[in-house]
Amino acid sequence: MDPYETENPFEEDTDRVQSEASSAYRVNLSAPSSPPSQSSRIPSSPSLGSASRPAFPSSGSHRQPQAYKSDFCCTRDQWLHSGEEVEIVITDALKTSVNSSSTYITYVIKSGTAEAQHRYSEFESLRTSLARLYPTLIIPPIPSKQTIGDYAVKQAKAKEDAAMIARRKRMLQTFLNRIARHPILSNEHVFHRFLDGEVSWTEVLHSPPLSLLPTNILKAPSHNPTDQNASPGYTALPNPSATHALRRPDQRFLDSEVFTNKFAAHLSGPMEKVTRRTMKRWSDSSHDHAELGAALNGFSLNESGQLSSAIEKTGQAVDATYMSTTLLLQELEQNWAEPLHEYTQFATIIKKLLVYRHQKHVQYEMTQENLEAKREQLEELEKSEHAARRLEEALGRGRTSADSPRTEDGTPSSGDNSRADTGYLPPHPGPNPVRRRAPGMGFLSALSYTLHGMMDVDPATARRNAISKAREQISLLEDALHLSAQDLKYSSSTIQADLDRFQRQKVADIREMAISMAKSHRDWCKKNLEAWEEAKREVEKIPDHPNRMLEEIVEDSGGVANGSRESTSTIDGH
Amino acid sequence: MLGEDDDVFDSVTWESPSAPTYDAGPSAPTGPGFRQSTAESEPGHGPHDPKWEGYLITSVKDPVKELADTKDAYVSYLVSAKTNLPIFSTPNPSARRRFQDFVFLRNHLSKDFPACVVPPLPDKHRLEYVTGDRFSPEFMERRRADLHRFLQRLSRHPTLQRSTLLRAFFESTEWHVTMHQHVAHPPGPEHTTGVIDSISDTLLNAFSRVRKPDERFLAMREGVDKFEEGIVLTERLWSRIRNRTNDLTGDYHDMAVAVQGLGFLESGITDPLNHFSNTLLEFSALLRHTTQTTTDPFLIHLHSLLQYSHANRAVLKLRDQKQMDFEELSDYLSGVTSERDRVDALRGADDDRSRVEKMRKLDAKIKELQDAVQTAHETSDAFSDETLREQTVFQYAKEAEMKEMLGNLADGQMEFYKAAMDEWDRIIPIIQRIRVDV
Repeated sequence: MDPYETENPFEEDTDRVQSEASSAYRVNLSAPSSPPSQSSRIPSSPSLGSASRPAFPSSGSHRQPQAYKSDFCCTRDQWLHSGEEVEIVITDALKTSVNSSSTYITYVIKSGTAEAQHRYSEFESLRTSLARLYPTLIIPPIPSKQTIGDYAVKQAKAKEDAAMIARRKRMLQTFLNRIARHPILSNEHVFHRFLDGEVSWTEVLHSPPLSLLPTNILKAPSHNPTDQNASPGYTALPNPSATHALRRPDQRFLDSEVFTNKFAAHLSGPMEKVTRRTMKRWSDSSHDHAELGAALNGFSLNESGQLSSAIEKTGQAVDATYMSTTLLLQELEQNWAEPLHEYTQFATIIKKLLVYRHQKHVQYEMTQENLEAKREQLEELEKSEHAARRLEEALGRGRTSADSPRTEDGTPSSGDNSRADTGYLPPHPGPNPVRRRAPGMGFLSALSYTLHGMMDVDPATARRNAISKAREQISLLEDALHLSAQDLKYSSSTIQADLDRFQRQKVADIREMAISMAKSHRDWCKKNLEAWEEAKREVEKIPDHPNRMLEEIVEDSGGVANGSRESTSTIDGH
Repeated sequence: MLGEDDDVFDSVTWESPSAPTYDAGPSAPTGPGFRQSTAESEPGHGPHDPKWEGYLITSVKDPVKELADTKDAYVSYLVSAKTNLPIFSTPNPSARRRFQDFVFLRNHLSKDFPACVVPPLPDKHRLEYVTGDRFSPEFMERRRADLHRFLQRLSRHPTLQRSTLLRAFFESTEWHVTMHQHVAHPPGPEHTTGVIDSISDTLLNAFSRVRKPDERFLAMREGVDKFEEGIVLTERLWSRIRNRTNDLTGDYHDMAVAVQGLGFLESGITDPLNHFSNTLLEFSALLRHTTQTTTDPFLIHLHSLLQYSHANRAVLKLRDQKQMDFEELSDYLSGVTSERDRVDALRGADDDRSRVEKMRKLDAKIKELQDAVQTAHETSDAFSDETLREQTVFQYAKEAEMKEMLGNLADGQMEFYKAAMDEWDRIIPIIQRIRVDV
């Protein structure tokens, strides 16, 4: 059972999901960015020969057609949705110290004809911004500050290490491409501005929509937290705790939570640990082979004739293994270990997303509970109002009962049986309400007495004010409930849809990872096989030992003889 | 004293008088150890190049526990050969022998042929011996393989393959009798006797270096040293790789388990991931298999070759010793001669009788020494001669063994990479069949 693909009873309209969140900011920014001067290029790690298009995010086995779009907000938007498979490439990592007292690395991003430069912290900032703008979407991860695989690198040198920079380059590139492939996020103009490099990131941060982000996302509409026209009712929503248990939790999302936890544990535990260990082992192995290759080469120099060539060729086979293993290691690092780590990070992101949805659900239930409570309250108020009126009528006709509690005089306004709103809140009954039970009146009289307990205002008025106040609040709460329901429905369906999408992409990426691993190993085997075949050919040329079963013993034993099967095959006694 | 060198070859039977491939006795010395023979290790056509009169192909098989369940239990092996050498009475001799028999064979061949490089026997595998595991199948197989190689090396030696003792080893039905006879009547008297013995002990300790080092033997010694260095280094580095591969075997097994776990989580692709997990498991198994069937035997053979080379080096050292024997004795002789001349020059002194007595004694000593020097010289020359041939013999052996070792190594590697490549090739279409729209 695939937990991400079950039915969603909350969901009514999936089409709404697509169009809801597209932001169409047509802000025209023409201020040029400050180009870095005196930047030095950091040499990239040895290329994999074919600098082909990056493997991740994978395109899977079949590409879904892009939704048709004709209304573009800028040229980046157009490029991203041109219909072809576009690729954002981080071409360089430059060392620069522009606008800073120390040197830092800036990454050159090419998307189509546009080029931008950003440093790591700006990527972080982009990610955080998108996460706040789209609290119901899975925003892809960026490489963590202390990346995996730094086991061999001292932390102080980490920033300078070419391998680490290369890894960051790759993973940041994948990050951008995942956003570019997202049906909603790819339309976000903030993303476009990040890519086109025409404004500095700081400017983007200080202009809408980012400048309009509220501090508490939970009190803003899920589909657009920056919506300035959002109903003020949002502010009335309660602030939910993440651990608050739900009365009627959504089973699908409970299942999702369980699955995500299992997934996270399995990836960061067995899978990543073994991967790291294996990488280290291959690294050590390749060094061993390099040393052995050199040793055999030296060995061959001390021998002569065909033996020397044979040892030399054997050394070359070992050398070939060193080189092929180095390449294998590189490929495994890029096409297995890195995406694996990404998915570990994804698990954490999804957990947070599910927490958000949970909080929205809690908001909804809390609002519901408040509304119910208020309605009960109103009901009680009205009951007592009604009862009081009847009593007055009864009292007004007959004599006053001796032990009837103080009742109010019938004011003109209480004569009518309509439910009038008076407008003020009934006060809290106070610490020591006097309760005198009249026989037969019981709770009602106590209540009405309590209601008028401490007030020096006309109790009837007070009650009527209370009633109207309650009605007002109920109306507010009904609004809030409506908003909350909308939010919850939107959140649940969007998250569900994004989880579905994520699941498909994950399967595609796993598929790619496995294929890549198989191919890398296959190629490694092939190269080594060829090298050993060559070595074997050279070894065969060593003449056989004279002690062999031939008709004549050849004195000049320079030629290759096959009759020595007997003498050489008895190694194991068979 | 004289004639030991002749006697050495008594233990070798001749097919025909014209057959001998080396001098039966000392030839006229042209100088201490300098001959025309080639010093290169490459086999050529010089007069001192070894020649094989026939072939002897040996095998050691079928370890059997004899007298099992008694305290005298031991293991016997079937040793057999195929040969066309005339000294053997049948072309397919065979017998059952035990480890002690091999030990006897080895020790006596060393004594009888001091100038030949007799291959060593493996260590007694002390640990297993003590723990009583010497009847485990692994131990028996390991020993059988060692003994097989020992005989193979003997059989490849043009001289040793024709020794009477070796022939008896294969053919004798009363081996114990043979052994006793051999000990009681060794083929020749002890080599170092009398004067040489008493002198060499006192003198040789003072000087440990040959006086007139021969370029050829220096080169040989250096060659052997470098060869052994190479072997030792290769052994060390390859052992490290072996251990690393062992670790990888475990790693890939763990990867297989992890991938299978992922398959359980991802219900849509459980099947292909299980296949992938199997491939990883297969790869792990192939790695282990290669270590067991290729790398370990390679390392064992490498180590064995090193031991064999040590035996070679010991013979070279012995040659140096013989030369030193001769040089020291010569020095001593000239010392005594000068003494005699000095005493002689003292003619005319009053104490004539004691001088004559002294002279007489000195002359006797000189005569004795001259004989000894002559013997030592001949011994040294013959040994040097033999050593040149031995180097060629050893070179043949070395090349043959390295061919076998490197050949098996290459075969094993090729087999592994082929099998692994097939595994990885097979899994690719299975994964590609996963259908996902993105």
